[in-house]
Amino acid sequence: MSHESHSPKYRMGLPIPHSKLGMWLFLATEIMFFSAFIGAYIVLRAGSPGWPTDAKVTHIHVWAGGLNTFVLILSSYFVVLALEGMKAENFAKARRYLCLTLLLACVFLGIKTYEYSGKFSHDILPGHIPETPQMAITKAMTEMKQVVDGRTIALSNAKAPEKLEPAKPEETAVLPDTSGAETKELATPVEELRKKLQTDLEAPDTSETRKKALVAYFALDTKYRELNQKALDESITMPEMNEELATLKKNPQYGAFLAPVHHLQPIIYGNLFASVYFLLTGFHALHVVIGMLLFIIVLGQGKRLCEKWSDYVENIGLYWHFVDLVWIFLFPLIYII
Amino acid sequence: MSDQQSHSYVKYSSIFIALCVCTVLSIIFDVIDLREKNLLGLNGVILLTLIVLAIACAKALFVMIYFMHLKFEGKWKYVLLSPTIILAMGLTIAMTPDIGIHYYTNESPQIDYLEQAQQAATESESANNAEKSHVE
Repeated sequence: MSHESHSPKYRMGLPIPHSKLGMWLFLATEIMFFSAFIGAYIVLRAGSPGWPTDAKVTHIHVWAGGLNTFVLILSSYFVVLALEGMKAENFAKARRYLCLTLLLACVFLGIKTYEYSGKFSHDILPGHIPETPQMAITKAMTEMKQVVDGRTIALSNAKAPEKLEPAKPEETAVLPDTSGAETKELATPVEELRKKLQTDLEAPDTSETRKKALVAYFALDTKYRELNQKALDESITMPEMNEELATLKKNPQYGAFLAPVHHLQPIIYGNLFASVYFLLTGFHALHVVIGMLLFIIVLGQGKRLCEKWSDYVENIGLYWHFVDLVWIFLFPLIYII
Repeated sequence: MSDQQSHSYVKYSSIFIALCVCTVLSIIFDVIDLREKNLLGLNGVILLTLIVLAIACAKALFVMIYFMHLKFEGKWKYVLLSPTIILAMGLTIAMTPDIGIHYYTNESPQIDYLEQAQQAATESESANNAEKSHVE
């Protein structure tokens, strides 16, 4: 500013620091960036009758969103106080409030993580959600098949080392051969493994514990085949399937293995919803993480913090308020409407 | 100069309290759930959307004007922000006719299923009502 003062008639540029102008221009592009996603969400939402809003289905809790809104507003307030401290050259105050802001950003991400983990455990992920009862049944059968196949391979592998050990020393010399054998091993149809397990079960020298595991496995396998047949015949409805699965999960023999099979819950437009949700909140969370890095840089100065950092704190403050601003719009759009 | 300005700033704490009140207000509107109601001749969902977005706009203005100090900035703020905001809104409005409003028949399995579910719900409801009246 000082070098401009000697020629006031031809003063060029704006009466603000260049860094601040740069930050504002960057924020203008950020407005476009987020409004593209938010706009797409509004438009998709308006064009999709039956968009999921039930909290029991979507696992979106208004209290979590509200709490996060409060956390961000409070952190915005603290940033302003930190800037006030910088301007008044009270650097201890500035540091204190910047620290508190960083802490609140961590709290925000913590609540976000809690929400995300809920989505993951209910398998509310883009492309994973059945949208009709038929799709839900098919998905449950696919998941159950994965469990059964997983058990088949696990039980076969448990047996495998005993068989392979004597054969291995001779084969170690020929490396390409063993890799070929491995791919063959992987390519072995599960059906064949199952037959081997059948003979295992009937063999007299199998240990008692293994026999028990095999009995459980075959019970599960039979149950799966039964249900799958019903699903293929379309002779089972979704509530019936849910009941069947619930009773299977309580079975002491193999119930524990069925944990990866999810409760059947078709959600109309669930995949679109999940895509939008993760895109919007994910990009916002990314901005929060970047903001935290910016705060860490200035806090890393420790006691060396001086008036030279005043512009920096003002600019990251502007950025942080923008992050808050985006959340102010995301909260009603995602959590309330 | 900055010292003079900081005296003219509105108390930040009052802005913070206003923002908190706005957040609580929008949560209250979520809890009373206008979805099923029909007030002022407006569909409940649209009314809720309007109210909640108006609150969000008020909050955004509070943050921009006071926390981001736009109230105390020069005229350049209009040059920088008005085209951005107009374009941002224009983008959304431009997409609406094709995706938001279907001027063609909207065919998707989701809609078929939704119709089926609604039909089943009304049928079971009427069946229940029939049963009840039979018992009476």
